[in-house]
Parts: sequence; structure tokens; C-alpha cells
Amino acid sequence: MTAKIAVRGLHHEYVNPFTRERVTALDGVDLEVPEGEFLSVVGPSGCGKSTLLGILAGLIQATRGEVLLDGRPVVGPGPDRGVVFQEFAILPWRTVERNIAHGLEIQGVPKAERATTVKRFVELVGLKGFERKYPHELSGGMKQRVAVARTLAANPQVMLMDEPFAAVDAQTRITLQEELNAIVQATRKTILFVTHNVEEAVFLGDRCCVLSRHPGRVKALVPVSIPRAQRTWKLFTSDHAFDATKERVLKLVREEVSGGEQV
Amino acid sequence: MSRRETAVTWVVLLAAFLAAWSLASATLPVPPYFLPPPTAVAAAFVDLVAKGILPVYVMESLGRILLAAAVALVIAVPLGLLLGMSRGVADFMYPILNFFQSVSGIAWLPLMLVWFGFGEKTILIAVNYTVIFPVLFNALLGVRSVPRIYVNALRTLGGSRWRIVRDVMIPGALPNIATGMRLGLAYGWRALIAAEMLVGANGLGFMIFSAQSFHLTARIMLGMAVIGALWLLLDYFVLRPVEAATIARWGLVQR
Repeated sequence: MTAKIAVRGLHHEYVNPFTRERVTALDGVDLEVPEGEFLSVVGPSGCGKSTLLGILAGLIQATRGEVLLDGRPVVGPGPDRGVVFQEFAILPWRTVERNIAHGLEIQGVPKAERATTVKRFVELVGLKGFERKYPHELSGGMKQRVAVARTLAANPQVMLMDEPFAAVDAQTRITLQEELNAIVQATRKTILFVTHNVEEAVFLGDRCCVLSRHPGRVKALVPVSIPRAQRTWKLFTSDHAFDATKERVLKLVREEVSGGEQV
Repeated sequence: MSRRETAVTWVVLLAAFLAAWSLASATLPVPPYFLPPPTAVAAAFVDLVAKGILPVYVMESLGRILLAAAVALVIAVPLGLLLGMSRGVADFMYPILNFFQSVSGIAWLPLMLVWFGFGEKTILIAVNYTVIFPVLFNALLGVRSVPRIYVNALRTLGGSRWRIVRDVMIPGALPNIATGMRLGLAYGWRALIAAEMLVGANGLGFMIFSAQSFHLTARIMLGMAVIGALWLLLDYFVLRPVEAATIARWGLVQR
């Protein structure tokens, strides 16, 4: 069986616009994500995890190597790969419902069908009653709910999430993580989730992919063998398996942080 | 201050101003044409309206500025958006547009008189020029200021180029376009009055300038008050509602 997403020998260099130095962000990344898996990609800042996601999204052109979706090479952005960005990327001039409907509009889905789908996802992400609001009237957490709903409503094959909860407060983040977990159970989407937060990576992932820094490569793939239904923060904080996995991933990431500082 | 307090303050200030003006006019040792009282200005207003002169001049001046506004909307806005789409083109055009924006239509008048003669053509070209450049310049800036993330979001949703222009670039540039239109029309309104004063045969600028030759000071003051009042009305009933319906509602400007 071919993987849903396959990354082969991915290498990426870019020129830092300030220092004008050539930076190697990724140096030979190989990765396979099976259908329906939630893969957390975790690593210290500067390990190239956002670059990796950008390449998967087709927004960044890799220097070498290839990305395959269902065995076909990715050449640019497309609706088969939905992206939730770290920054609030919903449009300020569209209401909540029109933002969520945007992908469907682009796909040419008829208005009545669009309304039904939007209604479903508004409910799924808990935004009922806010359909007619503009983004500036919403909190950060609600804006990201809109972004998640917009991506899900367009029904992509895979969902790419780039530190989507990094810009919201700690309380909201916990709620959003639990909600995302519920959504994952309901939709069974293939998801690649980039974060620098180890707890978040372990809480959400079926596997955690730890990236190394200098060069950016896959350092380890750590499976998280805790059933999704048991994943609530209340249960997790007292769960031994969670603690053990978290410590293991944390140790791997820490090696990279201190390793990076010696350079 | 509440709306009511603001209104009361305005009425009180206006009354005080008119009283001080009347007093100065009655007591200062100057000839009557030097500082006519407010009542003389009011009389001039009634007289000019009754004779039909003021309405005609107002319509002529308004017609010219509205024509310039229409030209700016139809030509300058799309052109600015287009030039802003490409970073390279925008970087190249920026200093050029910035230069011409700062050389006001008035500064062009001597040259335009040579080129286009002493008449309507020169007025219209000077006013259109003055309105167009700030609009063009700001529309270009507006496109450049649209966050890249919105464009990327739409690309990942499968949005075409045209879709990105329509759903992201144009609405994203609207705050700057609104600013450009307001600035352009404010500059244009001044340039129009100045051009009418120098080369006009009608319009408010012509009215106040020609009144000077006949020492019709009340008429000059009336003209000035009308020029200011018309701008307030234009701003309040046209420009602000457009902003309120779009960018203020989207939270892109704070009110």
C-alpha cells in the first residue's frame, strides 16, 4: 500500500534576506504518512518544520527531492491539501459563514449545498450564533476555529496545520486541542501538524516526528499508543504512558536545542 | 462628550464667533468692505440664491470635482491595483507616482496654460491630475499591503489568480483606496477652486476671485463658507458612509 503522503530525499536551501547567507533548512527528509494518520512534527525553532509544511502545501518550491500525495508529485498549492496557518489567515472582510464557505465557493458548490455544509461545520467547531460576525469581533481562539472549519469544509484529502494554536492563550489552546481531537475522531482525516510544543505533539499525534536541527532531518519517529477516545487533558495529566512518551520526545527535542546552541 | 453635548458646544461656539465678528465689524475703524458683518454675508447668500447665480456656480464646481472622482474611480483605481500586483512594477512606479503626487495641480497650471490654453480644458486637466495621483498611489500601496498569508490561504483553497484578485486584493486594498479617494478629492477640491480663480469663467473659485475686483467682500466670504460647507457635506454624506459600509464594518479602521 502506498502512503497518503510520501516525502523523499527532501532538501531545501534558501538565502536569508538579512544576512545574505545560504541556509540549509532541510537536508534529506524522508517521511511516510499513512492514510488517516495524525502525524505531529515537532522540533526546536529553526529546524525547518514550517518549511517542510510549506513544501507539502506547495507554497514553497523545494531545492531537491519530492513530495507525493497518493503517489502523485506535488507541484503547487491545491485544494487536496488544506492548510491551517499559525497567523490568523481568515479574511477580515468576510463573515464567519462566508469564510467557512470560501473553499466551497471556489469549488463551485451550489449555494444550497454550501449552506448545509457550512452549517454542519459551524456546529462542529462550536461557532453557532456567530455565523454573521466578522473576524474582528471574534477572539483569537474563535478565529482559529473558523480557519479549521474553512479547511475542513473544503474537504481536502489531507490537512496541514502549521502551529495553529501558537497564537492563542493557554486556556483556549487546551480547549482547541481537545476539540481538534474530537474532530479527528469524527473525520478521520490525514493530518500533519507542526508544533514546537512537545505536550501538544504527543497529545494529538498518532506518531511524533522529531526533526533535528543542523541539518534538518527526521531524527526519530515516536509512536503514541494511547487510544484517541482517552485523550482529554484531565486523563492525560495523570496517564503514565503519556508521561513516558512525552519525556522521550522532550529528551529528543532537547538534544537538538542544546546541540544547536553549541554551533 | 455625548452627541448632544457636542452639538450644544458647536452651537455655542458658532454663536460666540458670529457675535464677535458682528462686534468687530461694527466697532473697528475700517471701511465697510473691509469686514462686512455676518448679516451682509447672509444677505449676499439670499441675493445670489434668488438670482440663481450661487446654485449655478455650486453645480459647476461640484460637477467638475465629481467628474474627477468618477475618472479616478474608473481609471486610477484599476490602474493602481494592476500596477500593485507585481512587486517589481510597484517598486519601480513608487517614486514616480510619489513625485507626481507631490507636484500639485496648481504647480502645473502655468505649464498647462501654455499647453491647453486659458479655459475649461486646463481646469479639468489640473483637477483630474490632482485627484488621480493620490488615488493611483494609494491603490498601488493598498495592494502591496495585503498580507501575503491571505493570498496563500486562498491558493491552498484552490483559488485562481482572478479569484485572489477579486476576493483578496481588491477588498484588502480598499482601506488605502478610501484614503486615496479622500485625499485626492480634498486636494482636488482645493486645486479646483484655485484653477477656477485663475482661469475660470464660472464656478465658486471664479465667484470669489471676481468679487474681489468689485470689493464685494461679503460675496467672497460667502464663497469661502460654501466651499468649506460643501466639502463637509461631501465627506459626511458620501465618503464616510462608504467607509462605514465596508472597511469600518470589517474592523480594518478604528472609529
